[in-house]
Amino acid sequence: MKKAILALLPGLVLLAFWEWASGRLIREIYVSKPSAIAVRLYELFATGEILPHLVVTLQELVLGYLVGVLSGVVVGYWLGRSPRVAAVVEPYVMAFYGIPKIALAPLFIIWFGIGIGSKIALAGIMVFFLTFYNVYTGVRNVDREYANLALIMGAKERQLTRHVYLPAAAPFVLLGMRMAIPYSVIGVIVGEFASSTRGLGLFINQASSTYDPAGVFAGIVILLAFILVANIGAARLERRLLRWRPQAAAQSNDI
Amino acid sequence: MVAPEIAFENVSHSFATPAGPMPVIDDVSFEMARGTFTAVIGPSGCGKSTLLQMLAGLLKPSKGRVRQSGREIAGVNSTIGFIPQQSLLFPWYTLSQNVALPMVFKNVPAAEREERVRRILADVGLDGFADHYPHQLSGGMQKRGSIARTLVYRPDVILMDEPFGALDAQTRMVMQDDLQGLVARQGATVVLITHDITEAVLLADEVVVLSRRPARVIARVPIALARPRNVFEPFAVPGFDDAYGQVWQRFRAEVLA
Repeated sequence: MKKAILALLPGLVLLAFWEWASGRLIREIYVSKPSAIAVRLYELFATGEILPHLVVTLQELVLGYLVGVLSGVVVGYWLGRSPRVAAVVEPYVMAFYGIPKIALAPLFIIWFGIGIGSKIALAGIMVFFLTFYNVYTGVRNVDREYANLALIMGAKERQLTRHVYLPAAAPFVLLGMRMAIPYSVIGVIVGEFASSTRGLGLFINQASSTYDPAGVFAGIVILLAFILVANIGAARLERRLLRWRPQAAAQSNDI
Repeated sequence: MVAPEIAFENVSHSFATPAGPMPVIDDVSFEMARGTFTAVIGPSGCGKSTLLQMLAGLLKPSKGRVRQSGREIAGVNSTIGFIPQQSLLFPWYTLSQNVALPMVFKNVPAAEREERVRRILADVGLDGFADHYPHQLSGGMQKRGSIARTLVYRPDVILMDEPFGALDAQTRMVMQDDLQGLVARQGATVVLITHDITEAVLLADEVVVLSRRPARVIARVPIALARPRNVFEPFAVPGFDDAYGQVWQRFRAEVLA
C-alpha cells in the first residue's frame, strides 16, 4: 500500500506541475492542462460524442491484434520447425521486416478501403512481425534433447507440438504478444490518421486541426488506458501460463 | 536359438567435421541377453553415448547394424526407455505430469495413469512431491523423477547415460541401491553407460570395456557377484576386488596411455 502511494507520487507531482505551468510558463493552447483534459473527457463520455470512435478503434485493435498474433504464431511455429523452408524464406521475411510498416498505410487504404479493413491490416502486419519473430526464435531454441526424449517416449508429431514445442516456446510467444500491444495501437492510429470516417485517430486529428489540445490529450489518455488494460491482461496470462518458471513466482510486473 | 535382446554387429560410425570425417566408433560388436544388465565403460569422449543414440534410433550407424530382438533398429525406437545424463524433466510440467507423459503418448486411460504414477512415485520415494515443478526439486529428486518416468511404462530395454554422474557421492550410492531393486523387479534389459568402474562392477552382469576414440571393444568382463550387492560397502562384497581388478587391468592402458 505504502509502495503504491510512493509509486503514484512522481506522477501526481508531474500533473500538479503541468497544471501550474500551463498558462504561466507555456501557453495553454500548446499543452492544455490536466483539469481541462479531465473536463473534456467527462464531456466526451457524458454526451456520448466519443463512443462511435471508441467502438470502431476498439474493434480495429482487437481484430488487428488477433489476426497478427494468430498468423505470427502459426507461421513462426511452422518456419521454426522446418529449417529447410526457413533457410529459403528467412531472407525475404527479414527484408519485409525492414520496411517501415507505416509506409504501407496508403497502400492498404487502396486495397482494403477507408473502413476498418485497412486498419486491421496495418495493425495486423505490425503485430505479425513481432509475434512471428519471437515464436520463430523460441521454437528454434527448444532443446533438441527434450524433443528426442519425447519421441523415444512415443510422442506423435501432434503430441510433440502440444507437450514439448509449444510449452517450451511459450515464454517467447508471450513476450512477443506483450511487445506487440503498443504496436497494434500505432498501426490502428496511423491508419486512422491516413484516412478514415471514424475512430480515435480521426478524433485526435480533428481536435488538433480545430486547436483543441484538451481534445488531443483526451484521445491520448483513452489510448493509454487501452494499453494499460491490455498489458495487465497480458501479465496475468503470462503469470498463469508460465507459473512453472522459477522466476515467474518472484517477479510481478503488471505494467 | 533365441535372438539376443540387443546386438551390435560390426558397428562403425564417423561424424562429419569441417576437417573431414572423424571416426568415433570402430567395428564394435557385442550382444546382450534378455533381462541382463550391461555396463559400458570407456574413457570420456570415446563415443559411448553414440552407441546409446543408435539404440534409441536417433542415429544410424555409418556401417554395421544394431538389432533388437533380431530386428534392425530403424527410426526412433519407442520400445526403449532412456534415462539421460541430465534428468530432463519437462520444466513446464509437474512431477506427476512428467511421469504420466509417456503413458499419455501411449494412450493409457487416465484412471490407470494416475494409479501407476502414484505407485511409481511411492516406489522411488517421491510421494508428496507429485505437484512440485522440477525446479522445486533437488538434483537427486529430479533424477528419481526421471527414473520413475522411464520405469512407469515398463520398457523392455532401459538405456542409461551416466545417470548418476551429476549427483553427490552419498545420493549416488542411495540411487544405485534403489536402481538395483527397481530394475530387478521389472526384469528389463539394461544398458548403463558410465566411466566409473565401481558403479559398473556393482550394478552389471557384464562390463564392456571400450577403448579411446575411435571406440573399439577391448574386453567383455562377466561379473558373477551374488545379488543383491551392497553398493555402500563395495569392498565388503565377496569377489568385488577381483572383478574390479579384472576390469581395471583392461581399462588402465586406455586411461594411463
